[in-house]
Amino acid sequence: MSARRWRLAAAAAAAVVSTACGSCAGDGRIPVVIYSPHGRDQLTLLEHAFEAGRPDVDVRWLDMGSQEVLDRLRFERVNPQADVWFGGPTTIFDRGLRDSILAPYRPAWARRVDPRGVGPDDAYFPVYRTPAIIAFNSRLVPRSKAPHDWDDVLAPRWRDKVLIRDPVASGTMRAIWGLMILRGMRTPGDTAPGMRWLRRLDGQTRSYTLNPAILDQRLARGEGLVTLWDLPDILISRAKGMPFDYVFPRSGTVVIDDAIALVRGAPHPDAARAFIDYVGSAEAQLLAARKVYRLPARKGLSPDSVPDWVAEVERDMVVARVDWATLARETTGWMSYWDRHVRGSGATER
Amino acid sequence: MGVLLALVLAWLVVYPLLLVLVEGVRGGDGWTLEYVRAFLGRATEWRALWASIWISLATVALSALIGVPLAFLLARYDLPGARILGTLVALPAVLPPLVGVLAFLFLYGETGFVSLLVQRVLGLTDPPWRLQGAGAILLVHAYSMYVYFYLFTRAGLATLDASLVEAAASLGAGPRRMLWRVTLPLLRPALTGAALLTFMTSLASFSAPYIFGGGFRVMTTQIVATRLNGETELAMVETVSLTLVALLALALLRGSRADDSLAGGRKGAAPAAVPIRRPWLRVGLAAAGWGLAVVLLLPHLTLVLVSFVPLGTWTIEPIPPAYTLQNYVTLVRDPVRARPLLNSLWLATVATGAAVTVAVAAGILSVRRRVPAGRAIELLLALPWAVPGTVFAIALATAFSVHAPWAGRVILVGTLWILPLAYLVRDLPLTSRPILAGFRALDPALDEAASSLGAGRWRALRRVTLPLLRPALMAGASLAFVTAFGDFVTSIMLYTYDTRPVSLEILGSLRQSDVGVAAAYGVVLMVISAAVFAVGAERGTGG
Amino acid sequence: MSAYLEVEGLTRRFDRTVAVDRVSFGIERGGMLALLGPSGSGKTTTLRLLAGFEQPDDGLVRVEGEDVTRADPVARRFGMVFQHYALFPHLDVGENVAFGLESRRVRGTELARRVSRALGAVDLAGYERRRVGQLSGGQQQRVALARALAPEPRVLLLDEPLSNLDPALRERTRREIRDIIRRVGITTVLVTHEQDDAFDLGDRVAVLRGGRLEQIGTPDELYSAPAGAFVAGFVGRASSIPVQLLGLANRGTRVRIEGAEWEIDAEPSSNGHPLGERLLMARPESLRLTPPGPGAVPGTVTARRFTGPAALFQVRTEAGATLEVLGQPTAAAVGERVGIMPSRRAGGGIYLFASDDR
Repeated sequence: MSARRWRLAAAAAAAVVSTACGSCAGDGRIPVVIYSPHGRDQLTLLEHAFEAGRPDVDVRWLDMGSQEVLDRLRFERVNPQADVWFGGPTTIFDRGLRDSILAPYRPAWARRVDPRGVGPDDAYFPVYRTPAIIAFNSRLVPRSKAPHDWDDVLAPRWRDKVLIRDPVASGTMRAIWGLMILRGMRTPGDTAPGMRWLRRLDGQTRSYTLNPAILDQRLARGEGLVTLWDLPDILISRAKGMPFDYVFPRSGTVVIDDAIALVRGAPHPDAARAFIDYVGSAEAQLLAARKVYRLPARKGLSPDSVPDWVAEVERDMVVARVDWATLARETTGWMSYWDRHVRGSGATER
Repeated sequence: MGVLLALVLAWLVVYPLLLVLVEGVRGGDGWTLEYVRAFLGRATEWRALWASIWISLATVALSALIGVPLAFLLARYDLPGARILGTLVALPAVLPPLVGVLAFLFLYGETGFVSLLVQRVLGLTDPPWRLQGAGAILLVHAYSMYVYFYLFTRAGLATLDASLVEAAASLGAGPRRMLWRVTLPLLRPALTGAALLTFMTSLASFSAPYIFGGGFRVMTTQIVATRLNGETELAMVETVSLTLVALLALALLRGSRADDSLAGGRKGAAPAAVPIRRPWLRVGLAAAGWGLAVVLLLPHLTLVLVSFVPLGTWTIEPIPPAYTLQNYVTLVRDPVRARPLLNSLWLATVATGAAVTVAVAAGILSVRRRVPAGRAIELLLALPWAVPGTVFAIALATAFSVHAPWAGRVILVGTLWILPLAYLVRDLPLTSRPILAGFRALDPALDEAASSLGAGRWRALRRVTLPLLRPALMAGASLAFVTAFGDFVTSIMLYTYDTRPVSLEILGSLRQSDVGVAAAYGVVLMVISAAVFAVGAERGTGG
Repeated sequence: MSAYLEVEGLTRRFDRTVAVDRVSFGIERGGMLALLGPSGSGKTTTLRLLAGFEQPDDGLVRVEGEDVTRADPVARRFGMVFQHYALFPHLDVGENVAFGLESRRVRGTELARRVSRALGAVDLAGYERRRVGQLSGGQQQRVALARALAPEPRVLLLDEPLSNLDPALRERTRREIRDIIRRVGITTVLVTHEQDDAFDLGDRVAVLRGGRLEQIGTPDELYSAPAGAFVAGFVGRASSIPVQLLGLANRGTRVRIEGAEWEIDAEPSSNGHPLGERLLMARPESLRLTPPGPGAVPGTVTARRFTGPAALFQVRTEAGATLEVLGQPTAAAVGERVGIMPSRRAGGGIYLFASDDR
């Protein structure tokens, strides 16, 4: 009697395992595995669009932070699982380059993008541009009252009203922090004014959220009114019904090149190259712009084909001059210093 | 045999940790103490380590303060509805990771239900509190971990020999003296076990400090921050420091024999429930008990509520303005989104099966045959308990990302097998604790009786030992299954496309601000976990 | 003339101690041997060596001439009844009894028939579906016996079969066990620390002490001709007192005992020295109380215990030894000074052993 029960339990367990594993095998298409921080919506969109043109390829993506992409690729160096690294600021691709986890590939659209964002020896290429912006809760803050430049955020009005995505964990935030330090520099290596600015910002900060979803949630519910974040995320959230709006800082913002690269030792390099070619194509760039608010890195798209918001952005955005080489070299040290000495110290200063 | 098992366990449990240790003192070119010095020299590192320790100690104290009296109340006194209450208050054990913590935001966050209620009632202009920093972490910890104290104390009270209590009473011990001199000392194994488990879980806790910590860092979040900043070697040193603290705690508390408490086989009848005669006290205590149960269930209810909220509709309203089933439909209809559930099911099943098998083998070798390697085996089985999940994930990823068979390292990273292996290691203490205790409580003569009746090893195991161990097997297996099923910290480093677990799908949905779908996954996870626990408890004790 | 079950030089060491030390004996087919000894004497270890649960460091175990010393317990076909019965609590009575038969590939109706026969043999017919926990101690005992006997083992081993029963039940159960075993006619070894159990159940008794076999024989032989002071003291009642061996007398031996001189009917136990120190052991019925006087050992009555028609007197001699003497209940009162003399009835009961024997 009890023996039968045991057998039943064993059979159930076996059934679970075998049904689950039955679908591991795949369906004969060439799988292309993509590690990407771009999120479900965009990845699903591009997956279906690409597969429509290449029915022999099965795009499989894993959604994770760009730092996690780097970690994973490092651990998997001897047994690569991924074919494409899609997304993340070029600075983090540089770290991947140093860890020799990237394979050079010059996509078909290589000449259409700004060569400044291209990795050494064609290691990676920019596909989107991600401008940093100042965002605010549009239900609680009228546009006219919103801060219009970085320094406005330090006004007493916003004390304890600023929400910040944990800067250590975010490429966008690292770039903003870098910009703040760079623009304060009078002599090379002089980080003091920038850190002072960041300390004052820390004093304004209600909390650091370690997760964009919680940032969204808290901004939407008015727990904070203002944040510094990236354009696409805010536009997407707004499209989903979140009461968000944004401004471009007048003094100029930082625009992060968001890159794509072929993984060294990719199991399916040809299909991977095809996918990279597709992502930078005019069709895919426009698709991403229309549906998921990605600002194309590709130049020369015909003005009547781009969505209105792109035209608006191109008109309003002021781009600050940024010494990318210094930024790439120094960010780790700066962030480490900020994390240890500046974070949490602003409240005592004010 | 014993030596073989010990070696396999050492290879799985200790070897990866040693490799992490080595990484910490090896730079790009040769050996270096640079990172150790960097660690020792930074005040932030010490602060994070100290925060981990004191938060864990405070969590133990708070959890004991809630769990122990609750267990006494529900186990010793005849309250109306005590049986149902007893089950309800154990529910925090099935609150899934990530979304469970998120539920707290919806409840006690600055615009959460409870906060808004308090704000309205008191007529405040600002939220009454901020769910941030050490206090918030402690709240979440105490909420989710008092369950250990509650369950262990109840189990201890159930096996408490009534004759001992009666003996003390006949010697003239009053209720207070009885508690301090008889009951609590007898419960010591159970309480030490709970304290150890709580301390370890708190030390390894990631979601709560990650989401509520704000600027307040504990070691687990510090490790992530360091890694995110690209200082891999320093992260390894931090990892080692956290492991050392955990091992120290294990060594300190193991001295007092924390074993054998949960499924202990002491004989004697448990004391009968004490009736409460004064009606106002009875009503008061019952009301308090039920009130507490409601508070404890609020996060679950919140999660259920959120799972019905359509995307983007709930912003500054105190209560969701719209409801939908769409989140569940999404989860079932899209095969890509249904997969993670199946994945988690089979991964957890395989890991649980393996962990139970290893624990049974260890029981036979260590308890039955008393092989010389027995002590080493038992220590190795308990060790993963002391090592935070993040640490183990890093260790396994480090160890099994290199092809060096002569050094016992093969490539498992990126394969199907790394994740079940990681779950297995994490599950080992959970299955081996009750199963080893079960073996100890088993009369060895039963096994001898079977063999003298001509039953070979397998038949004796199948017909006698395993059926008799069923409560222990069920307890261990259900705990192991639920742990593996909802695991997040280990999975995040080791999953592959084919083994995407539910927790990562929850994270992915959260990254898209898709809170409703994340909550729907969470509810499914919660229901399956609760069902597994219920089956485990029912099968374990029933006929 | 080799016996059915033979044990030769069986030895088992644990760490430093020798639990079983060169034990040898043989049992005829159908014979019952009781291993008797105090706790720690190695009797249980000997049984476990026979069952195969322990491996001997030395020695041989043979059944029907077949060497089973190293055989697995599973292959030995020895049935065993455990001290606490070790009935499988998750199986019912019938399943417990069937367990051993199933191991021998007995199936179906044959299985059911043999289970019910085994239960019938222990007067528990129809108890198949009872749960083990519902049975009384005596019933559990009999289920354990039925379970052990059902597969028709070559040898039956009983470990302290009566120690869990209360005294009232004990004697009846003892009789039942004896009858069942006699009926089955199985070769049996049982372990006990109770002399009554050993004498009642064993047709031969082996007395063990400190792992050594002190003496083996019928209960009669052990009682009337103990091989040493230990056996004399352990089997039946006997009190001891140091004496001086003076020499041989015409019908026995002459000894000096606390000033008195006795002629006793005992071998002089000449091992070692021909004359000198000896240990005298006397059964209570071989001594008698007299008024103090010449030839009697003087002493004071310290206790008196009725045993029915007679009384057992405890007498403390002047040198401080205590002797037990059987006499008329009215022979003396507590506190009275008395003398002790060997009983006039001839026929043993008093033994001399080397003085370092105990």
